[in-house]
Amino acid sequence: MATMQMASLVDTEKGVINPRIFSDEEIYQQELEQIFARCWLLLCHETQIPNPGDFLTTYMGEDPVLVVRDRSGKIGAFLNICRHRGNRLCRAENGNAAAFICAYHGWAFSNDGSLQAVPNLQDAYYGELDQSQWGLIPVAQLDIYKGLVFATFDPAAPPLLEYLGPTTWYLDVFFDRREGGVEIIGGIHKWQIPANWKMPAENFCGDGYHTGWSHLSAIGSGFGGSFRSNPSRQGAVVSPANGHCIVGLGPDDPSDPDVPEIIAYEESIREEVGKRMGERLRLIRPHAGTIFPNLSLLRSISRTFRIWHPKGPGKTEIHAAVYVDKAAPPEVKEAFRRTAVRTFGPSGVFEQDDMDNWEGCSMSGLGVVSRRHQLNIGMGLGHASYDEELGGVASDYRLSENNHRAFYGRWRELMDSPTWPKR
Amino acid sequence: MRDDTIREVEQFLYREARLLDARRFDDWLDLLTEDIKYWMPLRTNRYPANSKAISILDGSRYEEGDLSGEDDLAIMDEDKDSLTRRIRRLDSGMAWAEDPPSRTRHFVSNIEVEPGSRDDELRVFSNFVMYRTRGETEEDFYVGCREDVLRREGGQLRVAYRKVVLDQTVLLAKNVSNFF
Repeated sequence: MATMQMASLVDTEKGVINPRIFSDEEIYQQELEQIFARCWLLLCHETQIPNPGDFLTTYMGEDPVLVVRDRSGKIGAFLNICRHRGNRLCRAENGNAAAFICAYHGWAFSNDGSLQAVPNLQDAYYGELDQSQWGLIPVAQLDIYKGLVFATFDPAAPPLLEYLGPTTWYLDVFFDRREGGVEIIGGIHKWQIPANWKMPAENFCGDGYHTGWSHLSAIGSGFGGSFRSNPSRQGAVVSPANGHCIVGLGPDDPSDPDVPEIIAYEESIREEVGKRMGERLRLIRPHAGTIFPNLSLLRSISRTFRIWHPKGPGKTEIHAAVYVDKAAPPEVKEAFRRTAVRTFGPSGVFEQDDMDNWEGCSMSGLGVVSRRHQLNIGMGLGHASYDEELGGVASDYRLSENNHRAFYGRWRELMDSPTWPKR
Repeated sequence: MRDDTIREVEQFLYREARLLDARRFDDWLDLLTEDIKYWMPLRTNRYPANSKAISILDGSRYEEGDLSGEDDLAIMDEDKDSLTRRIRRLDSGMAWAEDPPSRTRHFVSNIEVEPGSRDDELRVFSNFVMYRTRGETEEDFYVGCREDVLRREGGQLRVAYRKVVLDQTVLLAKNVSNFF
């Protein structure tokens, strides 16, 4: 596929991007090839499929994917497509299965992907079908980091640990700050929004700026507590590597929900977490981020991670889960669950207000005159540098669009490069 | 169930719907008891246990139910205080999901009234369609059923429990910023 060069549409040196990247069909198709068919994408957390046979269905880009723990306990991931005529193999969101049988002609695939049974194999196929050649198409690589199951369709992609690079410490703050890591509250919020997938991805990657305006009504009506009503000057946006982006507050800035059980819990584990995570936690309190390209994290008002599945340039399907420290007592888990439902998710008083903004921003490139004009991601240009202690490029001030530039810079590199661009 | 009770419940539900559509949210709040649980669980697209599309590996653990439980994630899980604060937020002039406001129309039907677990309570089932239009051309249909407990407090019926079940699994509306 001939690739369209993105350099004219994304200029991170000047801090401008063209709105076409949010609405152009050709650019979108190139994203599916260059980004989603190559990058490591999150499939699930391993506690979502804890037992042999447990499965869930999801997407990698627009490709439907079946994630399943086989009899031996090993997690595999396959295109959720019957190899015979291409029918969607598994039509359920989750469940437990030793085998999946296509509803069209009855080809049966074991939960390790192998083609187990074909109706009329002897009479109609004369016993000549080589079943070993027609198993489910597996992902090229699958790896698990701290319970997070990632996969890529690109055999040439660097290994997961290399892809994440120094971002792993930040992931640990979210998913492994206590012994045992995290578990997922049952259920996944799934909904479709009329916005390009990059809008929510860039929002979580570094947009502390919108919080004080977009979400002031949620904070003011007591859903965010004292969160951000009086932040210090501390904190930074950090881009550790490869387009991954983290938003951090000052180490003592409040970022937890103003719920008595949660405040008491956080206080009780502060020292333990400090010891486990080390010196860096005294410099920064990571509370949001995006793992390139479409996995976003939050550990402030809600403890949620979400995948922004692309469904065309103007549509995104959100799959959002809520995580809690496995070691937390039940009443604390319940407090996190309740708080999460009320703040993030389709009805969340924070998240519901993001949708019009993301929709509006995604559509601006549809007008031929509108798209002659660049958009601004220039906040804090020239006021960020590599910070050894933070393990990435960090902004001088907590409000900065330096992470936006890191995200779109990586996006452009991947869009333009036929091979894995080194950083 | 007595006819006049059924009529009273019907009129109560219709009035409630009219208050919501008229955005008279404070008047609507008055129709909820102080201890209300207002819950909208998640719905999941699953195979029944007898489906031939899968051969279940561990039948003892297989759950057929497609609704999330009380300890699971939900679309809404509210008490009177959180509902009140959701409504106070709408007065801020900065509740962007409702600014400009939704124009909604609630249709309530299939009303069944049963005795409740207490003398002063009724168990009420209903179906609903809620049409929302917003901005220039936005359109959403929220379709589902409700299971209510209505309690008589003085002369006034109030909602003491409401379970709202939407039929969609992947919600096709960009948010849920209205009430049901």
